[in-house]
Amino acid sequence: MKKGSALVWAANRWDNFGLPFLVLVLLLVFSLLSSPFRSAYNLVSNLSFSSLVGIGSIGMVFCIMSGDFDISIGSMSALAGVLGASMVTRIGSPAAMLITIAVATICGFINGVFVTKLRIPAFITTLGMQFVYRALAYIYTTNTPVYIKDDFWLSIGSGSILGIPSPILLMALCFAAAVYVLRKTSFGRYVIAVGTNRNAAMLSGINVDFIKTAVFTLVGFFVGIATVVTASYLGSVNPGMTGQGYEFQVITIVVLGGTALTGGNGNLLGALFAALFLTYMQSGLAMVQVNSYWQYVATGFVLIFAVGINRVKSAVLGQRDT
Amino acid sequence: MIRFLKLYEKFGIFIFIFAGAVFLAFATPNFLKMGTILNIIAQGSYAALVGYGMTLAVTSGGFDLSVESVMALASVFLAILIPVIGIPLAILASLIVATSVGVLNGLIISKLKVNPLITTLGMSTIIKGVALLVAGGKMIVILQKQFMVIGTGRTLGIPNPIYVMVALFIVFYFIVYRTSFGRHVAAVGSNESAVKISGVNVDAVKIGVYALVALTAGLASVVRTSQALIGMPSMAPGFVLVVLTVTILGGTSLTGGRANLWGTLLAGVFVSMIYYGLNLINLQIFYQMLSVGLVLMLALFIEGLRLRYLKAAKAKGIKV
Repeated sequence: MKKGSALVWAANRWDNFGLPFLVLVLLLVFSLLSSPFRSAYNLVSNLSFSSLVGIGSIGMVFCIMSGDFDISIGSMSALAGVLGASMVTRIGSPAAMLITIAVATICGFINGVFVTKLRIPAFITTLGMQFVYRALAYIYTTNTPVYIKDDFWLSIGSGSILGIPSPILLMALCFAAAVYVLRKTSFGRYVIAVGTNRNAAMLSGINVDFIKTAVFTLVGFFVGIATVVTASYLGSVNPGMTGQGYEFQVITIVVLGGTALTGGNGNLLGALFAALFLTYMQSGLAMVQVNSYWQYVATGFVLIFAVGINRVKSAVLGQRDT
Repeated sequence: MIRFLKLYEKFGIFIFIFAGAVFLAFATPNFLKMGTILNIIAQGSYAALVGYGMTLAVTSGGFDLSVESVMALASVFLAILIPVIGIPLAILASLIVATSVGVLNGLIISKLKVNPLITTLGMSTIIKGVALLVAGGKMIVILQKQFMVIGTGRTLGIPNPIYVMVALFIVFYFIVYRTSFGRHVAAVGSNESAVKISGVNVDAVKIGVYALVALTAGLASVVRTSQALIGMPSMAPGFVLVVLTVTILGGTSLTGGRANLWGTLLAGVFVSMIYYGLNLINLQIFYQMLSVGLVLMLALFIEGLRLRYLKAAKAKGIKV
């Protein structure tokens, strides 16, 4: 065998097997440490719970793949949530949920327009918008939480169809749709092209601004769906607390999932496993009664570790650095 | 247009300050008093202090999202250490703690080549956790009243934070414009690989930059903790946006390579005019958030225009 070929072997398989393996190890370790953790109830409910970050990360995979970030999603979620939740009594919950999704989608579209028209790095633009959306959510509610008392909306988080909890079904559906769009449509190929080499994409006739705007809109759309599920779990939307730190969790998941920060290389299934990893890790740490502040430390390490893994992987395979 | 943009880069911030001042003067009779104006400048001191550091980071082509958490950590250390080792040593120790976080940021960014945004985002979360762990999740009250002098005292009728702000400005002015380190920072920001080839230790420059950002965050934390007399394990979220707004509004280019320290100082004053001024007319805190967000978007809009015209000018062969 050639020198280092074991590393190459491992690097080639990391994306498909490494992360699922890590999830298994994590489940095993916490199951040994804590008996409440290994209960079927806990395992299933955390699987549903992972949809909150999982669904939100789908759009971000496309976004990071196209070479950008969106760090306004937490505030976007708060704004969309309070607007939708406040309308339940007037227009009924299905319409109100649609409003939530629509508001988040519009916020994403606005981000996209600003990013493409201002030509300023997206993370700074979206950092600014993070404040605008959060402030609007505060102003709209005058800083009071909005409670959801509608059974249909509340049943999204707790209900099940054919014995499978509905958030899990919803997450599976979203991921399947996203995988289809990424692999089978020209839009997916254009996103990859824009992320790999923006100038080449532009020269080959792809409307880069349009694709970027569409990607940011997509981020908003999935954040909107995730917000509906989150609001259903919590039974309320809080203009200050909802979505606090959401962008951080989602970016961690996307990066841990193997999506390269340099763009062009997205991994949706990786993001799904990463969402499981993060959710089970947080639940496990809570169940072995580690001080909750360690969660911050652990999650921060996971992010830096994830970037490190991606870098080692691309170095071994001789690809571009992340 | 080019001339206008050049003028804007130098004097744009004065227009903002002037417009803000006129608005506030009409909106509230209390604004045009020496005391109020000095208070506004003193309130702007934290934003300006950390703004100096951020100006350096942005000039090097980087970014630091961890300043909020570093401030929180320094604040907690101050509150814990002051009763134990006295005020001067506690200040020194907390500045060292802050700076070492910056060194760590710099090491990860330069040696592991992790994107600055991701590094400082991750570090920000880690340090937030550490600050909460060290403080046990509680605010720690500082009983030593004499510590308040730094943040609330006055010398010759001028609030002390203004002296800190001016002194650090002079130090940073010297670092940025008069030392080889400052020139290297700008060079790394405009063309990193060229600098590397010319034999500059780029890694050391980057580590220095992030250490200095964290040091400014530590200093700002000293002033702020002294005003509140409380060690706070979590700072009000959003301070990093204020700092960035100050840096970008001040005219430091996001493309790296050019610092505008005067701009940062003045933008610090302007942003605190928004914050404190809107307080004077009894608006709620959300409107202050909204206005800082909008001002940042406006500053970005103008920066975008500037970059576009510079590109067009270059294409036409006009020297800028």
